[in-house]
Amino acid sequence: MLLKPYRPADLFDELIDSNGQVRPYYQPVVDRLFHLDPRDLAHKVKNLELLFLKHGVTFTVYGDERGTERVFPFDPVPRLIPALEWETVEAGLIQRITALNLFLYDVYHEQKILSDKVIPEEVVLSAAHFRPEFVGIKVPRNTYIHVCGTDLIRDRDGRYLVLEDNGRCPSGVSYVLENRAAMKRFFPQLFGSSGVRPVDTYPADLLAILQYIAPRQTALPNCVLLTPGVHNSAYFEHSFLARQMGIEIVEGRDLAVLDGFVFMRTTHGLKQVDVIYRRIDDDFLDPKVFRKDSMLGVPGLVDAVRRGNVALANAIGTGVADDKVTYAYVPDMIRYYLGQEPILDQVPTFLAWRDEDRKYILEHLPELVVKAANESGGYGMLIGPMATTAEIEEFSQRIEATPRNYIAQPVVYFSQHPTLIDGALEGRHVDLRPFILCGETTKVLPGGLTRVALKRGSLVVNSSQGGGSKDTWVLSH
Amino acid sequence: MLSRVADHLYWMSRYIERAENIARLMQVSVELLLDGGGSSARKGSDYWSPVLAATAMEGAFRLLYPDSQLGDSSYFLTLDERNPDSIRSCIREARENARTARDQISDEMWAELNQLYLLIDSDRGAALLEATPQAFFEKIIQSSLLFGGITSATLSRTEGWHFIQLGKFLERADKTSRFLDIKAQSVDPSDTDLEALEWGTILRACSAQASYRRVNGTEFSAERVLDLLLLSTDFPRSVRFCVRMADEMLHNITGTLTGRYSNRCEKLAGALLARLNFASASDVLDRGLHDYIDDLQVALNETAQAIFETYVLIPQDTTQNIIHPATFDPLGYHYQSQQLQQ
Repeated sequence: MLLKPYRPADLFDELIDSNGQVRPYYQPVVDRLFHLDPRDLAHKVKNLELLFLKHGVTFTVYGDERGTERVFPFDPVPRLIPALEWETVEAGLIQRITALNLFLYDVYHEQKILSDKVIPEEVVLSAAHFRPEFVGIKVPRNTYIHVCGTDLIRDRDGRYLVLEDNGRCPSGVSYVLENRAAMKRFFPQLFGSSGVRPVDTYPADLLAILQYIAPRQTALPNCVLLTPGVHNSAYFEHSFLARQMGIEIVEGRDLAVLDGFVFMRTTHGLKQVDVIYRRIDDDFLDPKVFRKDSMLGVPGLVDAVRRGNVALANAIGTGVADDKVTYAYVPDMIRYYLGQEPILDQVPTFLAWRDEDRKYILEHLPELVVKAANESGGYGMLIGPMATTAEIEEFSQRIEATPRNYIAQPVVYFSQHPTLIDGALEGRHVDLRPFILCGETTKVLPGGLTRVALKRGSLVVNSSQGGGSKDTWVLSH
Repeated sequence: MLSRVADHLYWMSRYIERAENIARLMQVSVELLLDGGGSSARKGSDYWSPVLAATAMEGAFRLLYPDSQLGDSSYFLTLDERNPDSIRSCIREARENARTARDQISDEMWAELNQLYLLIDSDRGAALLEATPQAFFEKIIQSSLLFGGITSATLSRTEGWHFIQLGKFLERADKTSRFLDIKAQSVDPSDTDLEALEWGTILRACSAQASYRRVNGTEFSAERVLDLLLLSTDFPRSVRFCVRMADEMLHNITGTLTGRYSNRCEKLAGALLARLNFASASDVLDRGLHDYIDDLQVALNETAQAIFETYVLIPQDTTQNIIHPATFDPLGYHYQSQQLQQ
């Protein structure tokens, strides 16, 4: 009954195959959904969102002086990924993060990839988030990115493509865990004997990594989570992770640096800090080194990091790896460092700073997506087919002025997934953000955050711009 | 525990207790308003002035409402966001402090406080107050009591607990003493009907009516009320009881023996407790109830300030006393804090 009006569009549909048949691994869930009354379903979603509100599972809306907190809209139809398919995605993600960490070690040490001219030197040296101050500085275990949230989309043929690597402060993992808990509570009947791989080991895995990189290998290194504060949009996630790991959540003002060591101010005096899982950008970490006006940071922190007295996750300077220009070279990195072909494809990318690419971009703006090299959250973007002439004119001027700052890609209409809209199922675009943890071993959380653009036809899945989320099930067989 | 977090827990607890006490006072005052009818009881906007005085909000009220109308003062005390001590503001503050220290409290504590906040901050809250004020006040009181119960049943008796209890008992001591001050400023002590009504009101605001009657029957006398609300060792809302609890919590934080002190806040709390331990109702009345309460308030404020200076402000000196986790010893703190008193 629910499924009848559902129509797959002219793109990859997660549920229906090209012959109009339900993909076999979805069948059990479809059967169980079929038995639910759509009004009952909508009622449960409402209760579920009220529960999120009551427990403060919310994000803060910026630009609102009352600091309004909103629930990230939840869609009850789970996204399924069969075991074999996931194996490939997982292997591809591990390969990619391994290459990115080797790349970061290289550009902050010998810079062999540059002298071998695999990546043009200027790409790296001109990246806004490259930190020359950190060239030659040792980081614990030679790992730079410990937590990565890579965005994946699926093209018309269902191929998973990497859209971007978020290797600075990726967020969203708390929703993965909360969504799963909510699904179990409100829709236990949907699980049946599906064999869904659990996600709740994430906090323990993250804590193990923090302890693994501690400079002082004591029995219980003091790990803390550094938040910008309660007004940050992701504050819920910060406090969630701190609670799950059982570590302190600190603000910059709670920390002090003395003689190159970091301490936190406690009711019993100062206590040394070994590892900081920071959810603050490089620029704000230390007003002595980076932005002088930062009220969030800790004066002297960078010096403590340089001396190796405290470890940061992620390390300083990882932004050079998730720069959108560097992105175009990741397949070359994989070949160079690992001698392998990339397992996961990515979106073809034109770089405005290359003369022939720029010419192509400027001539084809109405067909392309243009992105600023260092923005995130869906800002600083031009979607050619939906843009006005004035917007296109504005972007072509910007590209001419600062070509290093822009890249362009063909529009990829990512896959759609059935989503509950006004009591019926409709197709909506989805992406996937898996979370990868790099410590003693590299682990990918099974599944990740599936974000869904709730507006019909929209490709923007960001929570701040009308996005929602759903539970993602990686099947164990 | 982080100093900032200790401060948040302390204020979370103070604010919820404050909201509860304002609700208590307003709840009984509404009844008094209905009881008073055409007799000598106060009426209209003037009616709330003892409540404004008891909560030290009179000045702020006159400032915001120079030409106050009927209903202004009750709005000011309950839902007015411009009043930092209105019930709504207190609950918002309690919840904001809890949100900032969420990793230190249980999920159940957070959910209860957040739920109350979501109610009071919505149209549903305003509608409830409009339709049945008593139900509104009851909701605040119940929720605060429930929060205390949840805290007691879900939180480890470590530092966080001590700071939460400290905030609660200091606030309660302050409010009970202010309630007594209403009586001290009563306009007409010769009207015996009114006298009984007023004592009854204060006792009910402190949930003390049953305890009072069990001991004293239905006769009201100032001495007997003071014995219960100011000096009782057993009644959990009496000033002496609250100060004793606060003193105990302070000593738990440092591990100092009762009767001794290792820092200024312990010294002040201990001195105040000793004063109450050796006071009698007749001493208080000889000194004058209002003046006695004034002294009490000063001592409570000084203690609160000393707590802030000792645990939150972190004087520069402490930066020289670095505690390494391997050798961390809470008792080492005694030495450190004694240095600070010199």
